[in-house]
Amino acid sequence: MGAPVVRVQGVSKTYYRDQTPVPVLEGIDLEVQEGEFVALMGPSGSGKSTLLNLIAGIDRASSGRVEVAGSELSGMSERSLAGFRSRHIGFIFQLYNLIPVLTAFENVELPLLLTPLSKAARATHVMTALDVVGLADRKEHTPRQLSGGQEQRVAIARAIVTDPTLLLADEPTGDLDKKSEEEILDLLKRLNTEFKKAIVMVTHDPKAAARASRTVMLEKGALVTKA
Amino acid sequence: MKFLPLIWRNAVRNRLRTLLTLAGIAFLLFVLIFVMTGLSEIQAWEGVAATHRRVVVQHSEGLMADVPIELENFLKGDVIAPHAEHVCKFNWFGGYYQDPKNWPPEFAVDHVAMRPLFDELKYSDDAYKRFCETKTAALCGISLMKKYDWKVGKRITLIGTFYPVNLELDIVGEFTTQNPRQEEQMFFRWDYLDELLQGKKIVSTYWMKARSDEDIPKLKELIDAHTKNSSAPTETITEKEFAAQFMQMMGNIKAIVAGVGAMVLLIMIMMTANTMAMAARERVTEVAVMRTLGFTAGQILSIIVAESLLVSMLGAAVAIGGSLFFFNVVKFSPSPIYFPVFLVEPRTVVVALGAAFACGVLSSLVPAVRASRRKISEGLRQVV
Repeated sequence: MGAPVVRVQGVSKTYYRDQTPVPVLEGIDLEVQEGEFVALMGPSGSGKSTLLNLIAGIDRASSGRVEVAGSELSGMSERSLAGFRSRHIGFIFQLYNLIPVLTAFENVELPLLLTPLSKAARATHVMTALDVVGLADRKEHTPRQLSGGQEQRVAIARAIVTDPTLLLADEPTGDLDKKSEEEILDLLKRLNTEFKKAIVMVTHDPKAAARASRTVMLEKGALVTKA
Repeated sequence: MKFLPLIWRNAVRNRLRTLLTLAGIAFLLFVLIFVMTGLSEIQAWEGVAATHRRVVVQHSEGLMADVPIELENFLKGDVIAPHAEHVCKFNWFGGYYQDPKNWPPEFAVDHVAMRPLFDELKYSDDAYKRFCETKTAALCGISLMKKYDWKVGKRITLIGTFYPVNLELDIVGEFTTQNPRQEEQMFFRWDYLDELLQGKKIVSTYWMKARSDEDIPKLKELIDAHTKNSSAPTETITEKEFAAQFMQMMGNIKAIVAGVGAMVLLIMIMMTANTMAMAARERVTEVAVMRTLGFTAGQILSIIVAESLLVSMLGAAVAIGGSLFFFNVVKFSPSPIYFPVFLVEPRTVVVALGAAFACGVLSSLVPAVRASRRKISEGLRQVV
């Protein structure tokens, strides 16, 4: 087995509310290997999303080390972190978070605007990603013209279009009906097995977690189980 | 360039709001262009007046009083002759052509002195010959001829408002000159006006050409000293001072323009800032998402500023395009008496573009900086 894609060592995170410290994560150690699909479970407020944000480099640990794709994140500048995210992270949100004024094609193209790819090369990448999620025929549709499940599939296409090292999904099925939920989980599983993408997925749902190869439980900011 | 579709879509996201902001900017810039064009027209006249060493003798009480015709002998006499030449009576007639809206600037002059005194006007010797031979003759600027579709040989009537007589004038020639504003003027003979006024010998001003720049202060001193204790004391001024005085009748234009300009810019910035603040507030989550995708704070800032710039520059395009069309193509003048021509100058266009640019940048800077500096995790949690 090679070096882990994610290595979290002794990570703590404390927020401050009116100067009162509110510890969210304490002494977290976690590794995610290449091609692994990890479900991160736990009750509300247990720190799942915070941990996901730390791994994504959109928040900083109060102490400890977060290493992703060989880069130690705590010492990086905001600008370097932005570059890191664009190269290594594909993020899938619970509420899809597509840009409403852009079409499906343009939403998926968005991360590619940060690369030196030509317009034609960007179009090829976008169509490949939309093909993977089965929405090539909806490329001109705006988010308002898509169902929730379709929106999330476009969001997944956006997350994979740069071929990132790691996919991070924050409750990706939390806002979907049963049928769409199944479709999205199937798609994530396919990305993991067929395209060998490492995935860390935050979920409340044990059925969703069951699709992962490993489940990690968080409770009150600490890891309690490693399945 | 590749961000342009994103910037455009964001700019027109709320079409009504964008349209109203754009219309507001366009209106305010139009006002700015309007007042600046007024100022540049005044300065253009002062510029013309500054170049020909012409000196004007008027009554010390200003243009509403006349100077006595007896003064002419002194002005043409041995005391003044070493310092000036081409002494010419000069009365503004202030009549209209056909409709009170049409106010061609018409001046009654001495036909002999007029040619060397206004030597920047170019017209044929034949035209000048006819001007000297015909008491009812008129020489008209080429722009004026085009404006009213006049032709040489045409007889026109000017309805007097300031003087209680109407002029029946025969156009004997047209003139050109380097300054398009002078091509809106016309000249006719003072002796014809005097004949209509039954020999009242009314002279508004005397004009003459100083022999050198150094002669100008000497002329002021000699002429005003000569009339000082008379019933009609004079004030001798340069043509530039005369033009400035004429325009000052409208008030302190420069101060008004500066005040209006500052006000326009301030209102534009406040209006656009309000729009941009609303737009940025609505997109807190989107900005956080874009930063999650790898957009840097600088890129977010640039996109928001560019969006504001796009709206303000579009407003500028509407205002500048509209102004050029109305004033430079259709040749609309807000006051044909004061502004026979009202041309938007290139520098006014540059100032309007600069104001729009400043508005675009300044109005978006605060919301853009706030949006780009907000923590991503906070932005993702925001419910709008």
